[in-house]
Amino acid sequence: MKRTIEAGNAARLGWLAGQIPLLALIVLCLIASALSDRFFSPININNVLMQGAVMTVITIGMTYVIICGGFDLSVGSVVALSGCVTAMAMLEAGIVAGVAAGVAVGALVGLINGLVVTRLDVNPFIATLGTMVLFRGVTFLITGGRPIVGEDGLPELFLDFAIERLFGIPYLVWLPVALFGVFHLLLHHTAYGIRVFATGGNTEAAYLAGVAVRRVRASSYVWCGALAGLAGVMLASRLQSGQPTAGAFYELTAIAAVVLGGASLFGGEGKLYKSIIGVFIMVVLANALNLANVHSYWQQVAIGLVIVAAAAADRLRRR
Amino acid sequence: MDGGALTGAAIEARGLHKRFQATLALDDVSFSVGPGEVHALIGENGAGKSTLIKILGGVHRPDRGTVEVDGRTRRFSGPRDALASGIVVIPQEMRVVPALSVAENVLIQAVPTRRFLGLAIVDRTAMARNAAALLGRLGIDIDPRARVDRLGYAERQLVMIARALSREARAVILDEPTAALEAREVERLFAAIDALKKDGVAIVYVSHRLDEVDALADTCTILRDGRAVERYERGERGRDEVIRLMTGRDIGTAPASADAGSARTLLRGPLAEEPEVAVDEGRVLGLAGLLGSGTTELLHRLFGTGRPAARIEKTGAPVGLGSPADAIRAGLGLVPGERALGLVMGLTVRENIVLPNLPLLARGLRLRKEAIDRLVESLIESVDIRPPDPDRTVRQLSGGNQQKVIFARWLAGHADVLLLDEPTHGIDIGAKAQIHRLMRRFVEDGGGIALASSEMAELLAVSDSVLAMRRGAVVGRFSREGEYTESALRSALGG
Repeated sequence: MKRTIEAGNAARLGWLAGQIPLLALIVLCLIASALSDRFFSPININNVLMQGAVMTVITIGMTYVIICGGFDLSVGSVVALSGCVTAMAMLEAGIVAGVAAGVAVGALVGLINGLVVTRLDVNPFIATLGTMVLFRGVTFLITGGRPIVGEDGLPELFLDFAIERLFGIPYLVWLPVALFGVFHLLLHHTAYGIRVFATGGNTEAAYLAGVAVRRVRASSYVWCGALAGLAGVMLASRLQSGQPTAGAFYELTAIAAVVLGGASLFGGEGKLYKSIIGVFIMVVLANALNLANVHSYWQQVAIGLVIVAAAAADRLRRR
Repeated sequence: MDGGALTGAAIEARGLHKRFQATLALDDVSFSVGPGEVHALIGENGAGKSTLIKILGGVHRPDRGTVEVDGRTRRFSGPRDALASGIVVIPQEMRVVPALSVAENVLIQAVPTRRFLGLAIVDRTAMARNAAALLGRLGIDIDPRARVDRLGYAERQLVMIARALSREARAVILDEPTAALEAREVERLFAAIDALKKDGVAIVYVSHRLDEVDALADTCTILRDGRAVERYERGERGRDEVIRLMTGRDIGTAPASADAGSARTLLRGPLAEEPEVAVDEGRVLGLAGLLGSGTTELLHRLFGTGRPAARIEKTGAPVGLGSPADAIRAGLGLVPGERALGLVMGLTVRENIVLPNLPLLARGLRLRKEAIDRLVESLIESVDIRPPDPDRTVRQLSGGNQQKVIFARWLAGHADVLLLDEPTHGIDIGAKAQIHRLMRRFVEDGGGIALASSEMAELLAVSDSVLAMRRGAVVGRFSREGEYTESALRSALGG
């Protein structure tokens, strides 16, 4: 009897330790509101949500790739490429074609990443480092390094997406909420999700259990690329243009968010909602430092420290 | 010689106890080995041999009891301490540095240096000379300049023994050193052990091969269920008596399937490859072989790994196996030799059971949750997984229970042929008996099993017939109608 109580306590403690990212986010919000009474103002909340929206979409894909045992450095470049392709296609053939082209080009880059990693057996870090540089170059080539705005700007309706609201919240924020719902179900409540976790947790064992591991791994890159493509579309709507320099360091922010959310970089472990908490830890931290008038150079130092500390704390907890 | 000469023992272990959670791995074990003496530790898997070695090697700390080296009590807080006191363990997986030369590997802890411009740099000439001398003392003919990754397993093992000699070892512990060796290589190893003996090194020899123990050991301790049940001098005990003491039962009493009539062949394959085997309904086919004999490769081949795709005949119908998924669809299940290959440790018991059966338990993407819960619950009960918690990650289970999870996964689907590779390796005796019962039940229900094992007693007890394999080829066939003994098997294997 006593043993089962102890076991129960241990389980509760483990659960509590798993909620540290959420607690950290809440504490961070409280500190931010103490530092500045503007933090909880509607304008600032709106800001935080807008900033988190694009990164949330990227991080959903990154979580899939990392749980599946991979890694994707190319998402930042995909955001820029997709934003520019979207703007160009939209000016030629309208909104639907533009959005479709942006997502498709992202999915295509993801497919390339997936095939290079699974068929040519290249280390994901190196493979996506290559495609990151490659597609940034392609972006500069097709744009000549200049933003894509068009003579009369992008279509009004497309720009409204980042401005208009539903129940007081911008459409741009509703989109990631819906995507999160879909991808949460897919990852945590379907046969495909179990295969993703199994492939990332132990590729050989998953293979011997009949899982088509190469296809599953490749699919995670396709999701990641397509979602980064969609993020590029969202960013183009916000920036009212396709920017070839957009998305710099987004890959690092997304990876940091996944790590802050407690997923294992070795694969096979993680929760999608925790990665999203990781996103908002990063966003709120930057926002709070801004409100407190901390110089942007110091902001980088602070964010870097938080990432290292979080990763180290996670290792200690596992030990 | 100081204190050691007085007590006469190089290593003396007294009253060792070690508990891992619920398992009492060692229960009041004492033993001693003198300088220049070979002491064999024998026992079945799970008897406590490896725990004992790990305590002597400083990996585990005993809960109670002491270890004396040369008459002085030592408390090892890690493997370094054990090494420093002169105990060298040579494990089955050897830690050589593949990219370095033989000489560098031998002298890795005693690199000779010379001064050059005030810096200590490696003295290559002295290194080659010292290494050659050490190898010569062991009667080993290996070029000291050769890179270790060019050497075979047997030669790497000799390099490790030479390294032990370079450290002035007081005692060398060899863990199943011949498991992967051929007869000729065994002779060379024995010669090296003889040389160590003459140098006054104490040798602890862990094995379950009784022929070797007879040939080599001066004294022998039998471990069973964590206790030292017997200590005897060379020649004092007959073979049958030793086996009875090891297993706690008489051999040959576990009956296999009763009727010897002809049965339906469930699986034949891999077709047009050598060897081709047949697994019959209601039968256990044993595959005997030492490490590297090809039994593992055969089982994996039958399960659809490797290129080009293997072809099999399943209940008479030809099937091409492009991947394990095809084999599973055809009704095959594999329990791989390493549990790390069979399970995803970070997933739950439920998920691991469900994983290969997802095509049956999901409609498209949607999981049939109720069906899964009912199935998993009944399987946990029938194979007796403890604790009976489907949401526990398998990493938290004991080795025996992990193995039961792999069994449960194949009982969940429609598999009627199981391919088992060392399914009871490294699990405790209770769990082992349960696995044997599960196997028995599986064939009685009309299934067939191919069982690869390096444990001859297990093979003979559980199988209806046995194929002996060596270097990827069948070198002998044994059935209960003919000679069906451990020594017949061993001579076929050339071990």
